[in-house]
Amino acid sequence: MANRTVGTARLVHGTDPQLLIETTFRQRIYESLYWKDQCFGLTITGVMEKAASLTCIGGCFGASRKPTEFLCLMLKLLQLQPDRQMVDVLIDQEDFKYLRALALLYFRLTEAPVEIYQKLEPLYRDFRKLRVRTEAGSFEIVHMDEFIDTLLHEKETCVVTLPVLTRRMALEDAGQLAPRISPLDNDDDSDCDS
Amino acid sequence: MSNLNAYGGARQGDSFRKKWDIEAYAQKARDREEKLRTDEENEERRHKGQKPQMLPMLENPELLEARKSAINLDKMVGKTQVIQASSAAAGQAGFYCKECDITVKDSLSFLDHINGRKHQHAINRIMKVRSETLEDVVKKLEELRKIKRRQQRIKEGSSDYNFYERVEMLRKAEQEKKRRQKEAKRKHRMAKQTADDEPDEMAAMMGFSSFGSKK
Repeated sequence: MANRTVGTARLVHGTDPQLLIETTFRQRIYESLYWKDQCFGLTITGVMEKAASLTCIGGCFGASRKPTEFLCLMLKLLQLQPDRQMVDVLIDQEDFKYLRALALLYFRLTEAPVEIYQKLEPLYRDFRKLRVRTEAGSFEIVHMDEFIDTLLHEKETCVVTLPVLTRRMALEDAGQLAPRISPLDNDDDSDCDS
Repeated sequence: MSNLNAYGGARQGDSFRKKWDIEAYAQKARDREEKLRTDEENEERRHKGQKPQMLPMLENPELLEARKSAINLDKMVGKTQVIQASSAAAGQAGFYCKECDITVKDSLSFLDHINGRKHQHAINRIMKVRSETLEDVVKKLEELRKIKRRQQRIKEGSSDYNFYERVEMLRKAEQEKKRRQKEAKRKHRMAKQTADDEPDEMAAMMGFSSFGSKK
């Protein structure tokens, strides 16, 4: 089971969900000690437990391209393929921000564009700090809303190439999404005098 | 053999000789032969490029489970060990797997072995994880929340929380001690009373309560 996707998994974007992480990085994860030791035989609740004690997000770092625990758990989730409802629960919870980040990335990788916009945009109000492990191996701070912005607009994050997301305007024109009303639009009593 | 020994006396029998459980050892030999045969077959198959023969089905296998604690690979570093090798593999340096009788030199390869099909089969596990439901996830989340809250309480309100708690505990402990002392005293008094009663019976019957002077 160690490196195989669960038998009941459905295809995501036309392929095995694990293939959403590129081969090079996937190999690095399979060969890492954390994966072999602690991610073996993990269930979804096991992943939750480990994610609750995560301390940073990130991809692979250092000269040896060591994968972060975040990335290993990400691959594990792709292997286990939790239900949409489970992922909703993990995103909606407020207590564990790294678990939320993990579930958000999973959501972004596996769900349809309309769902992604509808789920991720309200979470712009979460401005908690996240620690990011850079490729060099040092740490940086990023905020949760910046992370969500990355998920919605960038091509890749944490070493994972994000699937192409239809542009919001295209979905609005097609009538599948209402135009976005930012919470900041109602903020008329701004601090600046000008 | 006749019942008489060389000198014409009765034979004692051979109850002093060690008895071997022939059946058990025969079974062992059969298992070993079987294993050698399957190993040879797998060797041939591997040469041909085929997959090895399937392992026999397990009776009541358990589902795959994650390890409860991390494997400590550094356990034997710097330590000297007297080897009492039960087999050729057990005597070698490296990571020894008891269930499969294999020594692996490399820690990552050892983990690969531990996580692999053959070893899991040997410990009666199938390579499938328990599939979980939404309720499991919700319940787990609640558990994690509780743990987090408890940790926060201990960390944040550490001085206050512990102070009142400790005062309370000490007060209760003192009360308990007092109560126990009272109980012990009462019992002691009761015991003494009954002890005094008995000689009175004797005195009523005999006229004296005990031997020995009253000095």
